[in-house]
Amino acid sequence: MDDLPEEVQELIEELDEAAEDEDEDAIKDLTQKLLATGVDVEAITLKKLALLVMDGEEEMTQGWTQVAIQIGTDPFKTLIEGLAAGMSLIGKKYEEGEAFVPQLLIASAAMYGGMDLLAPYMKQDENSGSKAATVVIGTVEGDVHDIGKSLVKTLLSANGFNCVDLGNDVPASRFIEAARENKATAVSMSTLMTTTMAEMPKVVKMLENEGIRDKLLVMVGGAPITAEYASQIGADVSPHDAASAASWLKGAVFDFPSESVRWS
Amino acid sequence: MVSEMTSKERVFAMLNRKPVDRVPVITGSVMVKEYIEKSGSSWPDYHSNAEMMVNTVSLMHTDAGLDNIVMPFGMFIESMALGLEVKMGRIDIQPSVRSFFNKPEEVKYDNFLEDKYVQTTLDAIKLAKEKYPDAAVTAFLVAPITLAGDLMGAENLSMLSIKCLQKEKQMQKMKDWISIALEINKIYAEACVEAGADILYYSDASASPNLVMPEFYYQVAVPAEKEIGDFVHHLGCPWELHICGDTVPIIEGMASTGADCLSVEQAVNMEEATKIAGDVPVVGNVTPLLMVEGTEAQIIEETRKGLDGGAKASMLGCGTPPLSSSDKLKTWVKAAADWSADKL
Repeated sequence: MDDLPEEVQELIEELDEAAEDEDEDAIKDLTQKLLATGVDVEAITLKKLALLVMDGEEEMTQGWTQVAIQIGTDPFKTLIEGLAAGMSLIGKKYEEGEAFVPQLLIASAAMYGGMDLLAPYMKQDENSGSKAATVVIGTVEGDVHDIGKSLVKTLLSANGFNCVDLGNDVPASRFIEAARENKATAVSMSTLMTTTMAEMPKVVKMLENEGIRDKLLVMVGGAPITAEYASQIGADVSPHDAASAASWLKGAVFDFPSESVRWS
Repeated sequence: MVSEMTSKERVFAMLNRKPVDRVPVITGSVMVKEYIEKSGSSWPDYHSNAEMMVNTVSLMHTDAGLDNIVMPFGMFIESMALGLEVKMGRIDIQPSVRSFFNKPEEVKYDNFLEDKYVQTTLDAIKLAKEKYPDAAVTAFLVAPITLAGDLMGAENLSMLSIKCLQKEKQMQKMKDWISIALEINKIYAEACVEAGADILYYSDASASPNLVMPEFYYQVAVPAEKEIGDFVHHLGCPWELHICGDTVPIIEGMASTGADCLSVEQAVNMEEATKIAGDVPVVGNVTPLLMVEGTEAQIIEETRKGLDGGAKASMLGCGTPPLSSSDKLKTWVKAAADWSADKL
């Protein structure tokens, strides 16, 4: 942003303030002024959104999402190249040990704040036929820790997956029902506690007994879960963290048979 | 050569940085299905019946050979006594806190000590002390940051922990929550010490770098843990501090709280932790799941690795899994004793 003309930089700063104050009229007015300067407002907005999400600036993210809506940026593009890109930036920092969970959480709140504003516009896209792979996600029975699971959900959503969030303390049978109901591509389970790890193999076993294990991928994760444990209980993977869960699944579904083939 | 000690003497020697006859083997939370069944206890009564509780937890000492006797089961008593919703779990799942308060002013704790679960802990401490004077009777309590997290919700704690570093107004909010947690901590600590607890074991699970930033730990959590720790010392009782996850980035802070020993889990490199902690004893860090499905060789290897790394007592990474088997617990205790015979 530093290489932009001074006049544009001033308008951007004013927009930041208007966004923080949730002053919609000022946002509209400033957006028009920005457009009149002739700069690529869409590129600026998407870059700005990514940085704001990365920094967890919820109000400002919402304000700049309004800018994106006003200038007519495709909502899916705003989601992927703006909001989700910011989540990926902080996710990468987390993966490299340069960021911590609270930073992921405030970034996630900022991303969802922007997504809420985009939601009414995104529906049009769904009607046009695009459909994402569905992941059934939850924390296993006996464990009420939501944070890790919610971060995985955030990053999966940011990568275009449709997440069915079962919440925490989810009985094994509920994972199976939800997988079937939603013709899921993957089931993702988490636990923070060693005391509830044994619920995971129970779910895998139930998927096998129901004859649907081969129809989907199984991810397990959480503080006490190792790759060795995942393999031992028959899961497909135990990603190191939320960011690698999303990138692994993106790669895995690429080679996976389509929903209609699997669930026919 | 140190002459044979009782369990309590052994644990106290370790806490006081004195020689021991063998390294102590201790634990944090204890709710083991096999022992619940063996002692004839029944769910959920054992949570609110001091005799059942002591009959169950004492088997960790008398049968498995651990040096401490720990009560209560799980980290829910404080929240339950404050009126939060708690799901009582099952014989193999510990209770869990399910709700939180919106504002610190909503937390009422005038009648905290009258709660039946708090009373059970206090009665169990008295009873264990009478029946097992040679064991280190340990109260398992929720430390201030984790209690503040239970009061406001863990996710809110995590979010506020970063916001409070950015804005003074948010810091004040955080301090308001922690100050209430500390008041409750003090009421409960005093009652436990009066009941006869030899040691207070504080779990500050939510102060972990897995949930809050190290910067927050040093600025906010250390003063809070030190405050409750100083209070406990003033009562004449030693205390242990446990924090989950890879705590290497905060070990120096943990050591500065004045805790008599630091408990770390399997994610921590013991050698690194003991080096940073200096003369403060570090204990741990055997993977708890080994007590459920570990082989004898794995249990021995991990126990010895932790002790070779400088651990002053062998301890499971965090609590004892409910599905632990007595055979594996005994293998673990024997591994620590054999190591002591070889290396002490």
